[in-house]
Amino acid sequence: MHRRTGAAIVLDTLESLGVDTVFGYPGGAIMPLYDALYDHRIAHVLVRHEAAAVFAASGYARSTGRPGVCVATSGPGATNLVTGIVDAMLDNVPLIALTGQVRTAVMGTDAFQEVDVAAITHAVTKRNIVVRSIEQLEPVLRAAFHLATGQRPGPVLIDLPTDVLRALEAESVPLAREPAPALCERPRASAQALDAAVAALQRAERPVLIVGGGARWSGATEIFRSFASRIGAPVAATLHGLGCADPGDPAFLGMLGMHGWKRANHAVAGADVIFALGMRFDDRVTGDPAKFAPNAHTIVHADVDAAEFNKVVRTQIPLHGDLRETLVALDHRLARAALPSFEGWRARACASGEQLPRDDARSEHLSATDFLDALFAALPADAIVTTDVGQHQMWAAQRVRVSHPQHFLTSGGLGSMGFGLPAAIGAQIAHPERMVVAIVGDGGFQMSMAELATLRRHDLPVKIVLLDNRNLGMVRQWQELFYNARYSATALPDNPEFTTIARAYGIEGRLVDHASAIPGAIERMLESAGPMLLHCACFPHENVWPIIPSGKSLDDLMEPVPA
Amino acid sequence: MRTVTANDGRMLARIIHLAHRFGCTYTRVAAEHRGATYCMELAFAGPGDALRRLDAQITKLLADDRETIA
Repeated sequence: MHRRTGAAIVLDTLESLGVDTVFGYPGGAIMPLYDALYDHRIAHVLVRHEAAAVFAASGYARSTGRPGVCVATSGPGATNLVTGIVDAMLDNVPLIALTGQVRTAVMGTDAFQEVDVAAITHAVTKRNIVVRSIEQLEPVLRAAFHLATGQRPGPVLIDLPTDVLRALEAESVPLAREPAPALCERPRASAQALDAAVAALQRAERPVLIVGGGARWSGATEIFRSFASRIGAPVAATLHGLGCADPGDPAFLGMLGMHGWKRANHAVAGADVIFALGMRFDDRVTGDPAKFAPNAHTIVHADVDAAEFNKVVRTQIPLHGDLRETLVALDHRLARAALPSFEGWRARACASGEQLPRDDARSEHLSATDFLDALFAALPADAIVTTDVGQHQMWAAQRVRVSHPQHFLTSGGLGSMGFGLPAAIGAQIAHPERMVVAIVGDGGFQMSMAELATLRRHDLPVKIVLLDNRNLGMVRQWQELFYNARYSATALPDNPEFTTIARAYGIEGRLVDHASAIPGAIERMLESAGPMLLHCACFPHENVWPIIPSGKSLDDLMEPVPA
Repeated sequence: MRTVTANDGRMLARIIHLAHRFGCTYTRVAAEHRGATYCMELAFAGPGDALRRLDAQITKLLADDRETIA
């Protein structure tokens, strides 16, 4: 009788749960799992740093809705995952982190590469589990998947002592082929609350819908569009809500918040009823929460997590439930309800012709925003765009016109530099047929550029758009605006020659350093069959406009002073 | 005073950390293992806003905890 090791049980169980790929980096305590991976059907993507493994798994999950899986060894391998785990927690990404652990017999002896990763990640995971016996492996893994995807998604860490991975099962037991049933029913908004929400809409004169990342994770994009269309009110999106609304819908105002569109912030400021759908009133969205939506007498807040109600902004009508089901129920009620026309309000709120403000100053260098405008006009409709964190991220969020939230992947809550390239790797693995573009800055790219080796190793045709302004641009911008132009530690005049670095990894690299080169460079990139890095040498002092200073109200937005 | 029941025995430590983070102090902590769960009696003191936030976070933690694991 063939008896499997604990490591084989881990992989077989992952496979039975639909996992086709794991992202990781080997090391001592996790070696039994890597030994089992050697000839297993599950593919392994070797990254060059564990931080990239967790971000790649996150990119996989964000672009598919299915849990991403990352693997690292004990000690430094595990601690290198922590930032990405927190990132997943804050952005509600279903993620499974598998970490090696020293033998159970030596746990607590400060053994080599021993760290209590369960304690370290207790505050930043939905759950973490130290597996104590081989019998626990399969049920723990199945439960972890349900926890990661259930209700409000998030990361689950499973710590795997070496002796558990090496142990042999007592007897061969066929794996359950079907995932275990959901462990906990999703909450449903009460009929009373749903009726109250509909009544608020019937009384409204200037309603605004705000859609957030909850729509992505509950699979509510389609029903949200139907719901919004039925109401006819203007729609704003949070950073993670981009793609939920049809970007071509004339009622779509764009992103709101600190770097949002002026019309979106003004509409929210002027609204009398707000429908906040799957969003958590992040401070980058609300500004000063005491001044958020000052004219709204009713805020309807739909969320799967009851702890979000009244956490930041006072809510009159909480709708506690899965957002998709909540919207279905609301839409069903609205189909039978008489609603006032919001056409006039929508027309005023969505007045066309608004241009994003931008700096007049130009030099011989390229404008990053010019490049992004041209890029987004040229990308295929199903392209997946990832970003790193900083100015380029906000420029992209202001301009990107994705038709689905799984097409725009960005680190929102944590704002983790180094996210963009590995997230693109995860998305490309999940969608080999699609174009995946990583938009990165020179700061963040240098936190993960060793992953060029991962692109080459796995022949992933990720396109990297490196907007290099030789600065940590967002911090530099804040220093300019709020710290008396004291540019402390933000200049990067000694950046390397990035195209040379790309070529050293066997990846095509091209320099774009003036506006006239933009169309040709983008065309070449879109035609390229393999990975490519476009190094855009940008005007170094271009700022993100508009900006609402931290802690100010949505009406306090700043725009560039005309030259 | 709030009485809570959790599957994860580490919940007490997590709640104490949160209270500390929000600038609250604990005035009563009692916990015992009953069957498969841990039962805790907790009381905190601190600014009203911090106590409300702590209460909401405890509710959230317990909701996650109720998504039972093997």
